[in-house]
Formats: sequence, structure tokens, C-alpha cells
Amino acid sequence: MTSYSKEVLADLAAGQLPWPQTKRIMSAYKDDDRFFKMIAVYQDRVAWKDPILLPVSDHLFICQSGDERITRCECGHSFGDYRKNWKLKAAIIVRNTEQALREIYPNSDIPDPRWMEIREFICPKCGTMHEVEAAAPGYPIVHDFEPDLEGFYRDWLGKPL
Amino acid sequence: MLDKPASALRLRERLLDSERLMEETGCYDGITELTLRNQDPLKFETLHTKLRAYCVSAREMARRISASPGVREVGEMVVAIYTPEGDAIALSNGIMVHVHTMSRFIKWMIKNNYEENPKIREGDIFANNDAFIGTVQVPDVMDVVPIFHEGTLVGWAGAVCHELEAGGITPGGDVCLAQERFTEGLFVCAEKIGENDEIRRDYVIRCERNLRMPIYWVLDEKAKVASCMDMRESVKQLISEIGLDYWMKVSKEFIEEGRRAQLARTRQLTVPGIYRGHTFYGHVTAGKPGFQLLGDPDWLYNIPIEMEITTDGKITMDFEGTQPWGYHSMNCTPAGMDGGMFVTLTQHMNFEGLVNDGAWMATELKLPHGTWTNPDNEMVATATSWALLLPAYGVFQRLLSRGFVARGFVEEAFVGQVNSPMIEMGGESQYGTPFGMAHFECAAAGSGALAIADGLDTAYVGWNPESDMGNIEVWEQSMPMVYIGRSIVPNSGGAGKYRGGCSFVSTWLTNKTSHLRLHTSEHSSRVFDNGGMCGGYPAPTCQKHRAVRNSNIHELAAKGQPLAHAPGIDPHVSDYEKNIGGDHVVVEGPYITAPHKSGDIFSHSYNGGGGYGDVLERDPIKTAWDVENGYLTREAAIQIFGIVLKDDADGYPVADIDATVERRAAMRKERLAKAIPVSDWIAAERGRVEKADFAPEVKKMYASAIKLSSRFTRDFSDFWNVDAKSIFIPGAKP
Repeated sequence: MTSYSKEVLADLAAGQLPWPQTKRIMSAYKDDDRFFKMIAVYQDRVAWKDPILLPVSDHLFICQSGDERITRCECGHSFGDYRKNWKLKAAIIVRNTEQALREIYPNSDIPDPRWMEIREFICPKCGTMHEVEAAAPGYPIVHDFEPDLEGFYRDWLGKPL
Repeated sequence: MLDKPASALRLRERLLDSERLMEETGCYDGITELTLRNQDPLKFETLHTKLRAYCVSAREMARRISASPGVREVGEMVVAIYTPEGDAIALSNGIMVHVHTMSRFIKWMIKNNYEENPKIREGDIFANNDAFIGTVQVPDVMDVVPIFHEGTLVGWAGAVCHELEAGGITPGGDVCLAQERFTEGLFVCAEKIGENDEIRRDYVIRCERNLRMPIYWVLDEKAKVASCMDMRESVKQLISEIGLDYWMKVSKEFIEEGRRAQLARTRQLTVPGIYRGHTFYGHVTAGKPGFQLLGDPDWLYNIPIEMEITTDGKITMDFEGTQPWGYHSMNCTPAGMDGGMFVTLTQHMNFEGLVNDGAWMATELKLPHGTWTNPDNEMVATATSWALLLPAYGVFQRLLSRGFVARGFVEEAFVGQVNSPMIEMGGESQYGTPFGMAHFECAAAGSGALAIADGLDTAYVGWNPESDMGNIEVWEQSMPMVYIGRSIVPNSGGAGKYRGGCSFVSTWLTNKTSHLRLHTSEHSSRVFDNGGMCGGYPAPTCQKHRAVRNSNIHELAAKGQPLAHAPGIDPHVSDYEKNIGGDHVVVEGPYITAPHKSGDIFSHSYNGGGGYGDVLERDPIKTAWDVENGYLTREAAIQIFGIVLKDDADGYPVADIDATVERRAAMRKERLAKAIPVSDWIAAERGRVEKADFAPEVKKMYASAIKLSSRFTRDFSDFWNVDAKSIFIPGAKP
């Protein structure tokens, strides 16, 4: 069975593994022990002790916090119950003017802000930008991911929560 | 347990029987056990490898027969081998989108009783390019031939090429001005076009008299038929070695194995649950010459997708809430939507095991009736269906990637494909002959970023994984234009910790013609259609078209004065305007104007992909390299990424790490100071929603989504705590 050390996976996740080695990992059979090893990599990265149950984005994790399961930023800020849309508890910057869009697209043609805006979802504690939505004005904020956490652990990992 | 010898049943009965068995057992053709694989796995795997080799070899041979630079250079072709009922067993590399669309074509003929009339006999050749039968759009012309063994039909060989000219209302294949089926070009509706291994002369005459440049189509037909015959003979030889009963059983076990492998890969790589995403497509045609008045002139389409992965590994994609079909060329058929699913799966999940129609059977598409994904009117045009299909399946790639990230397989997360605008042309060639041609250098756009690295620069599109832009010299042989520039567009990838791949721009000089019509399609303007992920920004998309009519370029060249080879990086004044005299024209969105002539200049840009991760985490050292090589500008480095660059002794940019850390800390503070709680933003924005204070196209988009989808209406109403129907459809009952 293919398997990699935690150190190799930490470098892979950080984008610091040499490309030939990365490519070999991409081309090889997938390692069955990847999930829990990556959880261990992420657990080393965060300063808090609550056990990570699932990564949901680059710096967002579902973790067990006492009796609750919450979505938590790497900095420790909680976005509340993991079954709710974490974006609704985030801070937001909306770029809906030509000037604001031009800050990100200095030389390109840019969309008509009457047709489309950019919404930046930011951790109110550390300022990390967790997601960017491009949407027509008035479009509801999307709930990106509702994992079947129990089914995943029970049926796919064989290790019930 | 499979125990079915080569059947004497009519094909239609065999097909219905196969579908019934799938329904009853959940397994393809009722194969609940992979008996042959279990008995001799090496023989099983070797046989499938042989079939795949037959396909790859036949495709490579056919590419050398083809006349079209699209097929020869870019590889716009795929071949596959099918069961008698039309399910793909093995396929080549190439435009895999058509493996399942061709399956639909074969099944359509069977269900329409072709065994009786026009009959299916050894040596017959059937062709189709009707998307409501089974393809994506008119230029995708597919040929299939039956494979017989001792009088019994035992399979099919099929091949598809994307033609560069389809004979529509505008030259080329992706006929941007088509508003109904009747303007898309030459239709071949599941026709028998040949017998005794020979293409009928009357069919060739029809092609010659209905196409601007029939050599592409006709020689591609010969290439496809040759590849089908090559595969057919190889399969017949194989059957003589392994026996007919074994072939009939193993060919179906291959498909069931493919179905099981897809389910297993989903369980291995992703996390079960509900995934959601959306994208948009905005198109501006109001007032453009040649635009017919049947439909609305400007369009804004929303494309919301909800993907469910169940614990058994099945993937379901639901397009509810998207827009109705319209009188434009961007509608798609269920066959095309299937094709989009198939090509995405083959690139993102099926990197091991047997790849065939089994993978498609492990998925489900929910395509709401009456929308652009499933028009309830077979008269609609689908000539540029990729315009909506590509952004939609870009969302699918991002949804899958979210699953890969959650599962820890970060190396597989890929923000994915982009919408690739296309240029087509026609009129009088440099040889003085009529011509029409699609230019396929769009096969090399910039990809979305990966979760561990920048995207691929000028090297990837979803619809052709080989993504070759072709040689300039070959394209110049086929069109009355010569290149005066082909270069990277700086900052064209979406910004992020890992940026999207950059696109390129081409600039041409019209040459030796007094009549060159240029059109572009699959070109979204006014909105982003290539999104980012995990904090990455979408790629810019609104690259305007710039032309110089009656230019003085020949005079400038004769005097040895500087020319312009690309638009440059000033968004307000292009390098063409700075350096070249003449009548400067800037066009937003699709390019539809009067013909060009020798001495005119034209430029067309392609798209880059979305970014991944927070821009303030981008590597400063790599950014310095990007600036040195023209992928990013200095302005972007400091303004977007907060990376301070200085010059080394040789004048090359290097990162000032200390100054970068300081600037990024300030940018983060500024970000926090500007941001407001989402709840505050919702409360403030609700007033605008209640008044429907939006552009007319935005209001129209909401009204049509609300008319078609109760779920969209409910979600919208719940989110804003309003009655969406009464806001957007005055007079409607709540």
C-alpha cells in the first residue's frame, strides 16, 4: 500500500515539495491512510487543542469543541455550528464599483458592476480571506459545503465519531 | 451472474433488456459479479489494454489523414469501441466529451428501429451531428460503423472530429449568430452515409455544396471512417482469438468494472455531502450588425449547481434554478451535458482503472426541463453550447476539488477549466477562394490554480486535455492573416496564494484579401465566469477586442519604426493606439462587425483560470520571477499581493521580504477595518432587493429563474426574508 510520512504530507500541503516528488504522488496509487495523516498535519499547524474532524477550506476546519462541532478558523475564531453556513458569521468586503474592482484587476477589462460584484469573506479576528464569491447583485450567499460528517466517518472511514 | 451468449434478439430488444437489468440490479446489464475478471485478472486487464491501444492507434492514424489543422495540430478527435447496444467499452485520448454523446447516437438509431429501415449491415457507415440525437453542436460530426462477427452484430466503432466549418449563418463551426436550428449549418441526422466501406458520392456532393470549405469536413470523414475500419478489423481479429462468447461477456464486464471503479474512486477521494457553487455568463449583442431580433439582445445567465455525493459513492449534479433556453446559440442538450460530465470525470477522477461508459453510469445529472441544459424545443440552436457548458463544468471541478481538499488529497484539487473564447472567420482566402474556418489556438488557455501550485499557463482547457494551440505557421496557411504577435497577458490568471494560469493574446495582420469576416464566440463579457476557490479571486474575463482598420503598419515597417504586437497593460489606451495609425475600434463581448481587408489589424485574447487561497500568502520570490517573465506586473505584485519588489544589480526584480511583511500586515489591518459583519451587509442590502434595484438584465435573470424553479424561489425568499415572486414577477400569486 502506498504511504507517505507526515513530514512529506506537510510539505505537500504547504506547496513546498519538489515538483518531481509531487508529480510522483499525483501519478501513484492513492494512499489509504491519507485522511488521518493530513488531519495530524493540520492539527500541528493550529494553536488550539480541539480535535479537527474535517478540513473544509485552506484555513477552515470542522472541529469537536466540547459537545459541539463547529467551523473554526486556523487562528481559533469560531464560526459556529458546522451545519450552518459559516459565511453568515464572517466579515465581508463587497467590490461593486469600478474603482474597487480595478484594485484587483489593474490592467484587464473588468465586469460591469451593475451585473456582477465580488464578495470577500474574511475572518473577523485574523483577517484571513477564506472565500471569494463573484455574484450578481442580490444573489443569495451560497452555502458551499454541507458534509455528511457522520456518514463519512461511519461508512467510509470505519471510525464512527 | 452473466450468462448471456451473443444474442439473436433484435438490437432494440437487447437494448431495452439491458436497461431493464440495470434498473433491477443496479449493475450494468445485470452483471452482479465480475466472473471473468475474477477467473483471470491478467487476461481481463490485458484485453482492455489492447482495446485501448486499438483506439489510440486508430486515432493517431486518422489524424494524419485529416486535412483540418484542428484535428491534425490540436487533436480535436476521439475514437471509441462500443457494445452492440451502444455503451462505450474503451476509448482513445482526445476530445473525450464525445464518448458518451456517440453512445446516445447509437442508442437513438437502435430505438428508432434502424434495423428495419435503413437497416444496419456490415460495411455500413452512419453519421450524425444533431445534438438532439447525440453530440454537442453542429461542428462535432460523428461516424460509426457496426462490427459483425459471422453475421451477428457484436459492437460498434465510432469516431468524432470537430469540424472547422459547418456552413452556418456565420463562417466557422461555433456559429455565434445562430438563433434557431435553421441557421446553424449542415445537419446530418443519424444518416447512413456509406455502404460497403465506402462513403456515398451523393453525401459528399451535399457537403461540397453546403460548406464554405468542404475539404475539412470531407477529408475528416475519410479519416474517421478509416479509424473505424481499423478498430473494427482489430476487434474482429481479437474475437477470432478469444471467441465470440468471451468477447460478448468481457466487453460488458469491462463497463461494469468501470462503474464500480468510479464509485470506489469517489469514496476514496472525496467526502459525502452536499456541495454548492455557482457561476454566471453575461453576453452583450445589442446593436451589433447581423444580430437577429428573435430573442433579447443581452443575456445574463446564472448557473447554480448543487452536487450530492452519497455514501455509496454516487455523484448527482442538479442544475435547478438555472435559466430557460433562449433564442441564441448557447443552449445545450442533455447529450452535451452528459459529454461535459464525462470529459470532466476522465480528467479529474478516472486516472486509473478502466475508463469507459461505466464511469458515466455511476453519476446522475438533473437537468430541469425547459432550461438551457434541457430545452423542451428541438428547434433551438446549440452552436455555441460550450459558452454555458464550460463555466458550468468549471463549477463542477471546483466542487470536486472541495471534496479532494476535505479528504486530504490536496494535490488533486484543481480550480480547473476556463471558458475559452473562440475566433472564427470566413470570406475570401489569401488564395482567392471561398473559405470558412474556426481557429483552434483557443485549445490552450490558462487553467485554474491547484491547491499546491499555480495554474498552467497557456496550456489547458477542459474540452481537450491535450490542449495544443498549434503552430503559427500552420494556422497562417489556412487563413488570410499573419501573426504579428502572440504573447502572455500579464495578470490574466485569477489572483491567489496560487494564481490561475495566464492566458495569451494574438494579434494578426489581415493579408491578401478584401473580404475577411471575423466573429468570436464563447466570450462572456460584463461578468466573471471563471471562479476562484478558498479565497482565490476569479480570473478576469472581459478582454475586449481591438482592431485597427486601414492601418499604416506597412509604412511603419518600411521605415523601421516600432510596431505594437499586443494590447499592452494600460486598460485605457492600447499599444495599438499608441503606436499604429488608422481607425481604432474597441468592441465589448462577441465580435460581430463588417468585414476586414488587407492591412487591417485584429487582436483576440483568451481566458486565464481562477486563483486558489488568500492573496496575502503568495510567495514573494516566485512573484519576482513572475514579474521578470511577464506573468504579473509590478503594480499587481504590490497592489494585490502586498509584495514589495526592488531591483538587483542587473535590474531584475527581487523580493524585499522585510518590506513585504510590513506591507502585508498593513493590508491585513486595512482589510479588517473595511470589512463589516455579513449580517450587517444583509440587513443593508435587503432594501435594495425589496425594491429590485438592479440592472434590467439582472432583474430578468431573477424573474426567469423564479418562474422555472420553486427551489430557487424558496431559497431566495428565505435568504432575504422577502417574497421573491411578488418582487420580480408583479401580479404573481405568492
